[in-house]
Amino acid sequence: MKKSNYINAILSILVALIIGGIVVAFMGHNPLEAFAQLFRGAFVGKFNFGTTLEKFVPLLLAGLAFAVSSKIAVFNVGVEGQLYLGAMAAAWVGFTFSNLSKVVHIPLAILAGMLAGALFAAIPAILKVYFRVNEVLTTMLLNYVAQYLTSYLVNNPFSGGTGVAQSPPIYESAILTRIMPPSRANTGLFIALGMLVFIYWLFYKTTVGYKLRSVGLNRDFTDYIGVNSRKAIILGMMLSGAIGGLAGAIEVMGIHHSFLDNFSSGIGFDGMLAALIAKSDFGMVAIISFFIASLKSGALAMERYTGVPKSLIDAIIAVFILFATMEGLFQLKRRMKSKKEVDEHVG
Amino acid sequence: MDKIVEMKNITKEFPGVKAVDGGQFDLNQGEIHALIGENGAGKSTMMKMLYGLYTPDSGTITVKGQEYGGLTTREAIDLGIGMVHQEFMLVEEMTVLENIILGFEPKKSRNRIDFKKAIEKIEHYIENYGLDIQLNKKVRDISVGEAQRVEIIKTLYRGADILILDEPTAVLTPQETEKLFEIFKNLRDDNKSIIFISHKLNEIMEISDRITVMRHGKHVGTVNTEDTTIPEIAKMMVGREVFLNIERKKPEVGEVLLSVEDVYVPGERELSKIKGISFKLHRGEILGVAGVDGNGQSEIVEAITGLRKVEKGDIIFKGKSIKNLSPAQIRKLGISHIPEDRNKRGLNRPFTIKENLIADKFQDKEFSKGIVLNEKKIKEFAEELVKKFDIRPSDVNLSAENLSGGNAQKIVVAREISNDADLIIASQPTRGVDIGSIESIRKILNDIKKKGVGILLVSADLQEILSLSDRIAVMYEGRITGILDNEEATEENLGLLMTGGYLNEKV
Repeated sequence: MKKSNYINAILSILVALIIGGIVVAFMGHNPLEAFAQLFRGAFVGKFNFGTTLEKFVPLLLAGLAFAVSSKIAVFNVGVEGQLYLGAMAAAWVGFTFSNLSKVVHIPLAILAGMLAGALFAAIPAILKVYFRVNEVLTTMLLNYVAQYLTSYLVNNPFSGGTGVAQSPPIYESAILTRIMPPSRANTGLFIALGMLVFIYWLFYKTTVGYKLRSVGLNRDFTDYIGVNSRKAIILGMMLSGAIGGLAGAIEVMGIHHSFLDNFSSGIGFDGMLAALIAKSDFGMVAIISFFIASLKSGALAMERYTGVPKSLIDAIIAVFILFATMEGLFQLKRRMKSKKEVDEHVG
Repeated sequence: MDKIVEMKNITKEFPGVKAVDGGQFDLNQGEIHALIGENGAGKSTMMKMLYGLYTPDSGTITVKGQEYGGLTTREAIDLGIGMVHQEFMLVEEMTVLENIILGFEPKKSRNRIDFKKAIEKIEHYIENYGLDIQLNKKVRDISVGEAQRVEIIKTLYRGADILILDEPTAVLTPQETEKLFEIFKNLRDDNKSIIFISHKLNEIMEISDRITVMRHGKHVGTVNTEDTTIPEIAKMMVGREVFLNIERKKPEVGEVLLSVEDVYVPGERELSKIKGISFKLHRGEILGVAGVDGNGQSEIVEAITGLRKVEKGDIIFKGKSIKNLSPAQIRKLGISHIPEDRNKRGLNRPFTIKENLIADKFQDKEFSKGIVLNEKKIKEFAEELVKKFDIRPSDVNLSAENLSGGNAQKIVVAREISNDADLIIASQPTRGVDIGSIESIRKILNDIKKKGVGILLVSADLQEILSLSDRIAVMYEGRITGILDNEEATEENLGLLMTGGYLNEKV
């Protein structure tokens, strides 16, 4: 992505905050104080900053999952479902194997989560490339499958027997260490950041990435140079699903320590939003996810100390999205216009 | 003679490009004026401004004594300007007659069209100018040449006496072109004025009265056709001497490299687009495939390169069947492919020049270890090719998106030639490419032939086929209607074969 896009994103953030500030002022509060509390609530103190990081991890991974799929020109609306299945697989490994050491148990649970996500994402990919079924439709429907399937599992065979719809707790050996107590931030942060670096490396420095980027930009070209575009799309989609699964696994192993029914409530979609704003640039996905996570975690403090309602933050996020995508809209329009005229005057 | 159109000091800028910069053009009443230049020289842009599709940033357009800063399409039509676009603007499902009067119907009463009056008026054009068309056929059932005549009548019917034709001969066979030129002459004799955009020099010399040459959006010169020669015009277009005719030696052909045996291939819509094609290609020869676009050339190329399934028959390469292998397998066996459409297949435009140049080799040991790309080697390799093939800009890290047609095509050619294949399938290798690049691409093909490489050259440009090929196969409706040696081929007998005719002496 070009430098100017980063500048645009920062500008959108500023404009959104200024508009939010004006609204706060209208409501009779001091906007500077509100933002100071917001900032404090997001960054100052172990608990506050930890909470920001805790919210950042799943957002980043879900955003990354969506960005990966859009790099291969597939619109993976199913990150949420892949996340649920990944979480369930990780939880199952976590509460089933009792006498494993941490060094074995954690990677095993994580791999199980990623595998589940990958396999689940392979279904819409295969349907798309061999039967031309629109992936938006299939991934959206599969989200319900994942959600209800896991819901059934924690209520019946995998019920923790506590009366709450959740699985048995995972063993200590599968738990990701908390790094900023009393917050729930955990070592999953490093796994997520590692994933970010890995994905960037994979896409831009390897033959696999070459194939994936190629198929996303021009399928005809990909087939012509002798790369099987169908296989590339399935591979890319499985990669996307694996990252979604990883997000779920970290939520279970680092935050909840068991599979809670319906625990996600839209992490997959928030991530998709972050990726859309970031136009699927991996670095930008990280920045946007961090921004949204900070707003969400600072909101509570702001409400508590200044009386500005927490829901205002959702409004600010909405304004921010509006600006970020509007800028994209302008860009698209400009590009289409110039492309049209260039096409015309070449002829 | 009166100046009926005068365009002075025209500039037009698109984001990032000065399409026209100081453009000049004038048209006399009753002349055929050719406007030529390479791709992107600004000729279409100039004419679109005259027709009111674009507004000039500065400069004046004077039509019939009235000066304008810019025209709207409506004004242009009212002034008697008509334009026949490269792509025809006809409604496929309506009849020829309905298409012609569409929007300008003579009325009997408020809601009733006076077809009789319309037909009378159209008959007048048909008789006077030799524009024979069949009024009650649907447009989808008529030939390209006829559709073009319908377009011309349409503009005349709307009262045009200044006709702009954007590359009208690009889609025509030689015979149809002859016919079109007859019509041009008839129109001229009736005091109509014609502007004719083209980049085929021999046609322009044949038909035009005056020639205006544009280069890089600038006006290079306007000359009387009788006072100039083809090399002179080519020099004005390119800015230096060009040599398009290749010194072709009769080759010493080696063993049979490729043998296509009674192949049937399905098309997009038809069951069998290719209906039983057979030919042999030897080492060290160029076999040209001539034909009007869409007669199965693309399908046979795709069948050989593994991009399309073969239904029946066999394709033997170096003694082994390659029928229905994957594109990757076929490439590995030693077949390179310069595809007909560089934007669809030949290039991944958003990719960098470097990435495009290694597209078929990035998984080779030389350029990657395991899955890790060897950036240094890739860069070296790409820079070497860029230098050798004179690709501009020379920065291999730039995206291929903004490259000119000629340089983009050079990337494709460079990549496909650099892997030392035994057989190169070159499909429209110089389509939409500037003269300078045409010259160098043709020379490259001729040179590698001498090294014992076999080349299957598919081109809609007869001159290209004639100047490069040792033998020429002509395709018509999915069949080969004849294979000629270069020595016995002429534009006339090729043209005949291209339209489905057979030569008296069977070959």
